[in-house]
Amino acid sequence: MDKTDSIFFLELRQVNKTFNLPSGEVTALDHISLTINKGELVALVGPSGSGKTTLLNIIGALDRPSKGEVILEGKRIDMLSEEALVIFRREKFSFIFQDAKPLRMLNVLENTLLPFNFFKPKNRNGNIKSEGIDIIKSLGLGHRLYHMPSQLSGGEIQRVAIARALITHPAMILADEPTANLDRNNRLFVIDTFRKLSKEKGIAIVFSTHDLEIANKADRIVHLKDGVFLKDEAVCCIPCPE
Amino acid sequence: MELIVLAIKDILRRKGKSLYLLLAIVIPVAILSTILLTFDNADSSLSDLASKFGFTLIVQPKNVRVDKINQIGVNTSEYIPEGVIGEVEKVIREIITNPQDKIITIVRFYKEDDILTGKSNISSVVAGVDFKTELEAKPSWALTSGRWPKSEREAVLGGTYAGSRKISLDNTITIGGSEFTVVGILQNYNSSEDYMIFAPFAEVQKLFNKAGFVSVINIQNVSLDKDKKLLRTAIENINKNIPNITALSPQQFSTMKYALLKKALKFLIAIVTATIAVSIFSIFNIVTSVLYSRVKEIGLLKSVGASRSQLLLIFLSEYLTIGLIGGIIGYSAGLLMTYLLDFFLLNLGAGIRINLLYFLSALLVGIFCSFIASFYPTHRLSKIKITESFRTQWGG
Repeated sequence: MDKTDSIFFLELRQVNKTFNLPSGEVTALDHISLTINKGELVALVGPSGSGKTTLLNIIGALDRPSKGEVILEGKRIDMLSEEALVIFRREKFSFIFQDAKPLRMLNVLENTLLPFNFFKPKNRNGNIKSEGIDIIKSLGLGHRLYHMPSQLSGGEIQRVAIARALITHPAMILADEPTANLDRNNRLFVIDTFRKLSKEKGIAIVFSTHDLEIANKADRIVHLKDGVFLKDEAVCCIPCPE
Repeated sequence: MELIVLAIKDILRRKGKSLYLLLAIVIPVAILSTILLTFDNADSSLSDLASKFGFTLIVQPKNVRVDKINQIGVNTSEYIPEGVIGEVEKVIREIITNPQDKIITIVRFYKEDDILTGKSNISSVVAGVDFKTELEAKPSWALTSGRWPKSEREAVLGGTYAGSRKISLDNTITIGGSEFTVVGILQNYNSSEDYMIFAPFAEVQKLFNKAGFVSVINIQNVSLDKDKKLLRTAIENINKNIPNITALSPQQFSTMKYALLKKALKFLIAIVTATIAVSIFSIFNIVTSVLYSRVKEIGLLKSVGASRSQLLLIFLSEYLTIGLIGGIIGYSAGLLMTYLLDFFLLNLGAGIRINLLYFLSALLVGIFCSFIASFYPTHRLSKIKITESFRTQWGG
């Protein structure tokens, strides 16, 4: 069964995350409860240090909460072993990072297919390589298939990261400041692509951003400040800056 | 794409760092290979020499040990009574099946003494030899000039000895207070004989008041030559039945003669060990710095589904591949250095032979250095959490 065929539902219940630093204990997330549904495009906004990244890490099972529960499709994932989480992440999530540099020794196509060096896709019909080529073409990089990362612009590099995220057919994409270093055209391209993917393929996408213009393209905006949940609102209620 | 291919692509991408790593492996492997190959070469050279002279077995005084062998490799202080010669021949005769098989016995008397050559006294080794028997046993023994001695007060000099002391034919040298005329200069054989004075056997014994004693008994016998098992039995029986002597094969003899060099080998191996330790430390530092510069890459690989064991496989494959290549290059460099060392300095002349055991040892040392040095940083960095590796990137 394709990952996106399952009914995806992620829930965070009263999640706390504290870090023990030499200066003392720091609370990064304080009693956060949140649900994310299949095909939703969710923007996390807030100032630096508000806990956006920590929240993304916990949603994506990259980190464990200090307290609270993370439930995916009815199953607690915060209790899974590290080995189980590796398999779980492969099956459910893709990540896009702010400065997501592809591996320098691989070309665009090889970078896109990188995940399959580590696991074989389950129940996938068709040629993975030709699917990779199709994804790259759909992101406007058809002419860059065999180019090395050093030959690409910042916007093109981010598209490679999106292609790599899509090739595994994830149920959810988590993106941390995916548009931070891009010009306006590329920022809009990325967010439009996210929107299209969430609506057409049913992929839940959660991304963090400081950019309200980008955030306004999401279905929901979750506001955080100092690790505290401020508000969770549908975008239709927020006036668009434009 | 396989994980190994990923590893190799990464080696090719980091050419500079990979070359540093390669160098850190090549140097100790090359030094180790040079030492081993040179000693192997020296051993082969000596064995070749022994077999060229056709000795089947050598009998010498029992208490001749490494410390009693002088710098050119002969015993000049311990002697065997001449009566032993007959006993040795008797033991051999009992073992060999063919009664017609001839036993040729060549005896020598060695003494180190101050020899007056011209106006200076120089400590030299005098060999008392029976020229007729020696020439029968060693047809390859030849002079570059002059003739073989015909009278008691005539001598032949080793080529290097004559050349270094500028002694020529018809010069006079004084051995044990008696004057000898130099009548011949020997060809050089890259052996201890090149540094000796040869004079008639009985005369030398008499001059040094050792009549009835010999330094070494060399035996030639076809049956023992052909059958190594029989040779071993002969050696065992001689050593068991005749007191105060030691019988050896030429191979054993050469090993003993090179025991001093083997002590040097131990010292050199200690140096190589130190070089390997320095190399491991250097590799450790390079690998650690490379891996720390790859922390984000590790995070990326983990985020796309790489498990810890897969990361270990990628990184260790990279470093073990470099270790393997370093072993091959190091061994090749060792072969070249051995050749150059022999050509310009040692002149052992045995020819450089590729030794499979040493080749495999070189590969193992390369891989070992690489593995030992890279395992800990690789193991440690593969444990890094994705969130830690992207801490600088995930800024919010």
